[in-house]
Amino acid sequence: MQIYRGERTVARIASCPAADPYGTVDNMRIGIPRALSYYRYYPFLKTVIEGMDGEVVLSPSTRKSLLEKGAYQCVDDICVPVKVYFGHVLDLMEKADCLLISRLVSVEKSNCDTYTCPKMIGLPDMVRHSMEEAPKIIEHIVDLQNGSWKSSIKGIAKALGASPSVTRKAYREAMEVQSSYEKLLLAGQTPESAIEHVLNPHGAAAQDGEHSAPNSKKEHAVHKDGQIKIALIGHEYLIHDAYVSHSLPDKLRSQGVDLIYSSQVTPEAINQELGKHPEISWSFEKELLGAAYHFQGREDIDGVMLLMCFACGPDSIVGEMISREFYRSEGPAFTTMVIDEHTGEAGVATRVEAFVDLIRRSSVRL
Amino acid sequence: MKITFPHMGNSYIALSALTGSLGAEVIVPPRPTRQTIDLGALHAPEFVCLPFKVNMGDNIRALEMGSDTLAMVSGMWACRFGYYGRLQHQILRDAGYEFDSILLGRDDLRVVYNKFRSTAKGNLTLAWARAFRLFRLKAITVDCIETRARAVMPFEKERGTTTRKMKEGLSMVHAASSIDEVKKARASAVDLLDNIDLEKTGEKPLQIAIVGEIYTVLEPAINFDIERRLGEKGILVHPVMSVYKWLFRPLKVDPSITVSERRARKIAKPYVPYVLGGEEHQTITGTIDASRKGYDGVIHLYPFTCMPENICRSILPKLESKYDMPLLNLCLDEHASPTGIETRLEAFVDLLKQRRKKPHAPS
Repeated sequence: MQIYRGERTVARIASCPAADPYGTVDNMRIGIPRALSYYRYYPFLKTVIEGMDGEVVLSPSTRKSLLEKGAYQCVDDICVPVKVYFGHVLDLMEKADCLLISRLVSVEKSNCDTYTCPKMIGLPDMVRHSMEEAPKIIEHIVDLQNGSWKSSIKGIAKALGASPSVTRKAYREAMEVQSSYEKLLLAGQTPESAIEHVLNPHGAAAQDGEHSAPNSKKEHAVHKDGQIKIALIGHEYLIHDAYVSHSLPDKLRSQGVDLIYSSQVTPEAINQELGKHPEISWSFEKELLGAAYHFQGREDIDGVMLLMCFACGPDSIVGEMISREFYRSEGPAFTTMVIDEHTGEAGVATRVEAFVDLIRRSSVRL
Repeated sequence: MKITFPHMGNSYIALSALTGSLGAEVIVPPRPTRQTIDLGALHAPEFVCLPFKVNMGDNIRALEMGSDTLAMVSGMWACRFGYYGRLQHQILRDAGYEFDSILLGRDDLRVVYNKFRSTAKGNLTLAWARAFRLFRLKAITVDCIETRARAVMPFEKERGTTTRKMKEGLSMVHAASSIDEVKKARASAVDLLDNIDLEKTGEKPLQIAIVGEIYTVLEPAINFDIERRLGEKGILVHPVMSVYKWLFRPLKVDPSITVSERRARKIAKPYVPYVLGGEEHQTITGTIDASRKGYDGVIHLYPFTCMPENICRSILPKLESKYDMPLLNLCLDEHASPTGIETRLEAFVDLLKQRRKKPHAPS
């Protein structure tokens, strides 16, 4: 597959309106890539932008062409999620006036240094400097060690020309939406359905009504033949990106597995677990580690699956810590799954089946 | 106490002076080889960066040589390096080795200070002061010898003389045990390098800056001795980092290092405004500086999957075209082969030579 940089640039210039993004434009279309921080902060960002009279353009779900384009534009040995992100950015360049890119420097305030992965910190730089002609970028800078959530939307307010009072109102609304979103995630909803729920309450409720009946039936069916419970630990941008993870959650469920995500572990439980161990500065990986310790101590969990992507920096360290912890002591069965853009669907399916079989057989023998 | 630490270039000379004069027995593992890397890769996580694997191999070798204390720098950064010591020591303990660990930066400084109470002779504070003085002098001396050798190497008449003489000089410095002896060793090492037969062609040699991740820039075992390879091709090499700078940067005792760090952050700010935890600012600034100083090219070295350098890697092509500075990216991992590196270096050098012959008009 070959894309010529020149062609794309021409196409984008043709479709881009001449308006200056930093002037006050009615209904400026702001593109948000459906990758990385989307899974955490989309409801917040969407509410903020719409509160300031902007229009949100969301990229479509990840697909082959997107990933190929992204991988072509990106550095070779970077992790898949970043390649996917680039794919979404390229897709949005033709649809939106400018892009909203999150720069997550630190997402929690604490006494010691906290960071996220360097790729998240340098994401806007990578997008801005690795393209022939940089797209117009609004940065959403989250640096809670030196600033606040409120200051993170400064860039958006400036780009949309929103007054302080409008900004305040939008911020307040957005925080409410975000907290209800986080509650839904804790309750075990997938980001997609939680986003639908939070941003489109009426439509989602009707849909939910339709879905609830078959769901409960299914659960009953599973309960009959020895139900097992598996915890899936991993970054939400991997687990819930159906193309990259080859719908791993669905595959597990189709094996009759009751699934629990690492996002369902409460922050209190995570902190309690981490208190016993030396600290880590990567906030997101800290959650994974805390969740892993938490699941290890729970009796109702039969197996734990850790999903990582190849070339992920923090996971190479934290994944090793987690797996060593599981191998060292008794607890639920444990497996790691490493995926990248070349991973085949059959490979994922085989490993899921093998893991589920292993748990089922060990329970029979006991 | 039989203390050991992983290799990084010639840092072992200064570090063994520090720990040695505190009374500890220093065990220096053999220089990393392919075997060391394989040994480390066997125990290390699959896609962790290369320095982790090499350090791991160094540690295993030292433990097999009878070492009982492993020292390592550790910290809370965005880069993986801060977790090396912790995870490596955990892996080694799981593998059945028994040892004591010193994690500088993680442990309280007082703990590290008191570790040497039983080994140091006389007053501990004075012993530390003496040790630090020797440490600093050796680090500066090594840096001085390396710099001089780099300047001489392209002009040597018989290829390989400089490397031989430099090794001789460095081993003299390593053997020296007091301030006076180090000073003497330094004088004779400099003398050795000054008396090398030179070949004066009158041609201005090509100049190449080496930027990138610090370990790959400084450790000849994993960058296939890139400095020597280039030097023996008649090229002046300018690495952006040095062992001395790396050792003294966190101590903040040398103002020139602090100033150059601040300058680098400032220049790199339009490209990487936030700290990513690695040497990203030095990489970006080094590339820009190379163009300002009129060098012919830049070589960017980084280990496979390195996070900060990967971000630089996506920014550097822009600097390459903006400053009209040829750039060679070399990504190193345990499977890189010397032939592959040599071929690419030759091609790059040929390109630079052609460029110099026919100066093309920048578009």
